[in-house]
Amino acid sequence: MTQLTVEDLHKRYGDHEVLKGVSLSAEAGDVITIIGSSGSGKSTFLRCINFLEQPDAGRIHVAGEEIRLVRGGDGHLKVADAKQLQRLRTRLAMVFQHFNLWAHMTVIENVMEAPVHVLGLSKAEARERAEAYLDKVGIAKFRDAYPAHMSGGQQQRVAIARALAMEPAVLLFDEPTSALDPELVGEVLKVMRALAEEGRTMVVVTHEMGFAREVSSQVVFLHQGLAEEVGAPAAVFDQPRSERLRQFLSGSLK
Amino acid sequence: MLHGYAASLLDGAWLTFQVAVLSLVLALTLGLAGASAKLSKLRLLRAPAVAYTTIVRGIPDLVMMLLVFYGGQMLINIATDALEWDYVDVNPFVAGVATLGFIFGAYFTETFRGAFLAVPAGQLEAGAAYGMSRWQIFSRILFPQMLRHALPGLGNNWQVMQKSTALVSIIGLSDITWLADQAGRSTHQPFLFYAVVCAFYLAMTALSSVVFNHLERRYSVGVRRSAA
Repeated sequence: MTQLTVEDLHKRYGDHEVLKGVSLSAEAGDVITIIGSSGSGKSTFLRCINFLEQPDAGRIHVAGEEIRLVRGGDGHLKVADAKQLQRLRTRLAMVFQHFNLWAHMTVIENVMEAPVHVLGLSKAEARERAEAYLDKVGIAKFRDAYPAHMSGGQQQRVAIARALAMEPAVLLFDEPTSALDPELVGEVLKVMRALAEEGRTMVVVTHEMGFAREVSSQVVFLHQGLAEEVGAPAAVFDQPRSERLRQFLSGSLK
Repeated sequence: MLHGYAASLLDGAWLTFQVAVLSLVLALTLGLAGASAKLSKLRLLRAPAVAYTTIVRGIPDLVMMLLVFYGGQMLINIATDALEWDYVDVNPFVAGVATLGFIFGAYFTETFRGAFLAVPAGQLEAGAAYGMSRWQIFSRILFPQMLRHALPGLGNNWQVMQKSTALVSIIGLSDITWLADQAGRSTHQPFLFYAVVCAFYLAMTALSSVVFNHLERRYSVGVRRSAA
């Protein structure tokens, strides 16, 4: 079953066109990694999927339902129905580069917050869910700690538990290890690898080429706002067709 | 004790307390509205808020108090004349509360504005990404964290504000300062009565500090503190 399709997504900032028509389709269980140099538009692409950024053109389906859009008076594309967007956002849980945990809530409160206040679960159900996912990411003993007292790797694992607690159709990861100290990257990648093995649908923007090669079902190489190369990791990493991808890989694998 | 003025001073203290609390409520309301306007994308809202804080913070409190009381009366007279209504008196209690609230609303606007900006945008974004409505993002993420940043500034302004309540004595309100002045004159013991006023204000501000410290602790949960 198709969990997410993005068709012909365009985004510009003033005169600079960041995305020039990027498409993507994720079946259940797919792990799609998006690689590319900084400025290639990969984070912008991910953030357009859940409308943290407004795309200028394109169509997005989440779990079979299209996000309804209208042209505003100023010519910009806008969400037609804010309630629909809120509902579909709950099907797309995002993990951010800088974790973005809510600093005034404990770990378990962070994980329970959206299930209780957005999905409408009872506190007891949400607590049970939160405990299960905190256990899964190996952070259960920190349940009553506040984010500021934890390492980056621990915070990011809480953020992953927060995403899982939504039981979303697709998990969106926006450079989840880029803000971490090198020695903490491994613990986060290990959790993400386990999620991929469980068959969760994931779209991952990352600089971790090892992860992209070993875990993904599909790799998208973005270059100057276009999907320059798309394919299975073996094809993309071992037989790059374009010169740009070759250059990028030789730079990142060094 | 106090030459029979104790009961009257107590009345004055109660009035001062009422002025302080009511003007605090007004100032908090104006401060939140002012900060929201200043942070608005709409120029139409930003411009008056900027004018408000710039003008009000630039005029001495005493002058503002006189301006509202006498100037306000003048304006009301002009208005009632034009509309051929009956003469309306400016109630000094209302004028005092309005003026203090108006003045400190400008300071609170700046305090709240800074506090709103201090909440990391990423946390608000996370709220949106998890399907929260704008109101939920405001009430569950922005507001509680904003308060933590605002409380020290609010506490400070509130302290100044309590003391500024003494200004209402010049527009004819029988607050504790005005009554002490009267009592001091008739008994020829001004020092005694002003000392009582000092003790009252000190007690009120000290009590406020206790409350604010408690609030600051409560809203600082989750903040990493250096070893205290």
